[in-house]
Amino acid sequence: MSSFATFAKTLLQTLSSPPCVFTKVKTRCHHRDCYRRCRLRRRRLQAREKMEQRLASSLIMTVNEKKFIEDALLSDIRVDGRRPFDYRNLTIRFGSEDGSSEVQLGQTQVIGFVTGQLTQPYRDRPNEGAFAIYTEFSPMADPSFEPGRPGETAIELGRIVDRGLRESRAVDTESLCVIAGKLVWSIRIDLHIIDNGGNLVDAANIAALAALSTFRRPECTLGGEDGQELIVHPPDVREPLPLILHHFPVAVTFGFIGKENIVVIDPTHYEEAVMGGSMTATLNTNGDVCAIQKAGGDGVLQSVIMQCLRIASVKAGDITSKIKNAVESYNTQRSLRKIKRHNLDQQGSSDVAKHHMERLTVGSDQSGNGSQFNEHDKTNKRNNTLKGFSGGPASWDPYSSGVDGDALRTTLASRVTPLDKHKEESSPVNPETKPSPKSSDTIGLEMKQSKTLKDAVKPKHKRRNKSNAC
Amino acid sequence: MEAKPSSSSPSKFVDQLVVPGDVILDLSNMANQTLKLGGGLRQDGDSICAMKAGKLRFMKPNKYWVESSQKRYVPSAGDNVLGVVVDTKPENFVVDIKGPALAFLPVLSFEGGTRRNIPKFEVGTLLYVRVVNANTGMNPEVSCMDANGKAAEYGILKDGYMFESSTGLSRMLLSSPPHPVLEGLGKKLSFEIAVGINGRFWVNASQSSTVILVGNAIQKSESLSLVQQKIYLEKLLKSIQ
Repeated sequence: MSSFATFAKTLLQTLSSPPCVFTKVKTRCHHRDCYRRCRLRRRRLQAREKMEQRLASSLIMTVNEKKFIEDALLSDIRVDGRRPFDYRNLTIRFGSEDGSSEVQLGQTQVIGFVTGQLTQPYRDRPNEGAFAIYTEFSPMADPSFEPGRPGETAIELGRIVDRGLRESRAVDTESLCVIAGKLVWSIRIDLHIIDNGGNLVDAANIAALAALSTFRRPECTLGGEDGQELIVHPPDVREPLPLILHHFPVAVTFGFIGKENIVVIDPTHYEEAVMGGSMTATLNTNGDVCAIQKAGGDGVLQSVIMQCLRIASVKAGDITSKIKNAVESYNTQRSLRKIKRHNLDQQGSSDVAKHHMERLTVGSDQSGNGSQFNEHDKTNKRNNTLKGFSGGPASWDPYSSGVDGDALRTTLASRVTPLDKHKEESSPVNPETKPSPKSSDTIGLEMKQSKTLKDAVKPKHKRRNKSNAC
Repeated sequence: MEAKPSSSSPSKFVDQLVVPGDVILDLSNMANQTLKLGGGLRQDGDSICAMKAGKLRFMKPNKYWVESSQKRYVPSAGDNVLGVVVDTKPENFVVDIKGPALAFLPVLSFEGGTRRNIPKFEVGTLLYVRVVNANTGMNPEVSCMDANGKAAEYGILKDGYMFESSTGLSRMLLSSPPHPVLEGLGKKLSFEIAVGINGRFWVNASQSSTVILVGNAIQKSESLSLVQQKIYLEKLLKSIQ
């Protein structure tokens, strides 16, 4: 072949099949243009993949759904069979620790967790405690939630819940003061969104309220040698105190769908994608409007807003009573658990069954007088349950087969320090009880203020120190 | 799909629940046979083990696969699915079929489709399509025609409402004998339904309340046993009157 032909052939080859990493050519062209074309193509491919990912992870709505939701609302019916002003099923459950709640509103699930810490107060408010709300939108709740920094909706949700509690002064911050100007309790509320089925604000608010109602902070007194030291009493010595909540600000969310501004309460995930605007009203049962949030969206008439507020106050009453019932049943269960542990602690373990009835009467007398149960105004209920109580450990603990006292004493005596944080694999005697009351004086119960709340709370599965029982 | 004892004894696990790790077949005592392994099974040297949890199914003469119910769908060729258009490109529509990757619907794969009469689908259109090929790593391809090139009821679905379900429920709805709740409701109410094997089904009726009733009834009946379904159906029909 002539040199011109070979040159033309190679030229055509270079032009027709641009050599880059994406096509199968033996040699890689090192011309600057080829590199640039490669980079461009690579970038375009990455952009396409990112767009595909975004499309796939956002909620995909069909035009049929939008039209259907609006049409169905014209005849006052919603896709899941509810009427426009019906809430979904609300379930409130509590964890084994004080201050943890799990709320399920239809498909939406939120976990709330309250913890407290001793800190310095703000300079301009020296005798008020502080509280802060942290939200976490877990990626398992929704494909569009990304891990890491909270997005816009997360921050807005945190703000709505915070405003409802703070501006209305629902949480009594002055009672959180320990030493004015130096030490106050700082309460931290963590809200984790587990499942997004729509209307996260309401569910998160209920979770926060439920968790705050069951949270207990340790009691602190001034004592020590010079009377200036702060003693944080662990929960087994002195019963921890609940927070003081003046009222329950409940958030009620409305969605405005369609051009005629049809109002629905508690929108689901699909309705949220279809609605033109939304409004959240936070009210309490006393009829006070604590906060209103309407950020953008379609405009609504003033009359519609007033109607919404009236409906919201009715719903707030329902939800408040549900929260209060759930909290009450949790408190009775908790106090029942405390009694059983308190009773078992009174005596050596070898004669558990024999002296059980005796201990019951002793325990009930003590519990009536003890300072531990002072703040519970449910002593009547408890006394009734005590009277109905009969039998040994098998009746209250199905897993227990009785305790071998000698073996227990030897294992406990060999333990070094009770403040050890190892979780001992104890038998599943009390899988859910809280740290047992330790009545020993040898264990150093007084703690310096540099230790945090975590040190005050003993790990759960610790065997109680029977060898030191009186 | 029943297992009949044949000369090459099919696995003992047929029509039973298997979990990952269960050895379905031992190949050492089976010689000169071709087996077709479907989804959820894997050959490990001389044994076939299950990779997914589900029911082992066998079809004569030699097909084995594991059937399980999930919310996500794994595209495979020949399935009829419900897709939603998410994007339009010059060459094809990009359709979401609830799988790991978006599917492409070529613009010309309609009966009598030419460059001149390309249908205009806006974003969010619901389509009943057939999966043509689905290889791992590639975007699957779907089509609005059947294998012979006819329209055969594929295409756009207008009005109605699309409900999400799991792949197991979709299979139950498509099985014969028909799903008790579906059959019972069909005798009383008039509605039309399109079931996609990818965990979506679409219901349309003249009244919105019928659509909502049928859709919710089917969704709720997924976790009920046959007997419970019949009881649920009776209660439902009574409440309609």
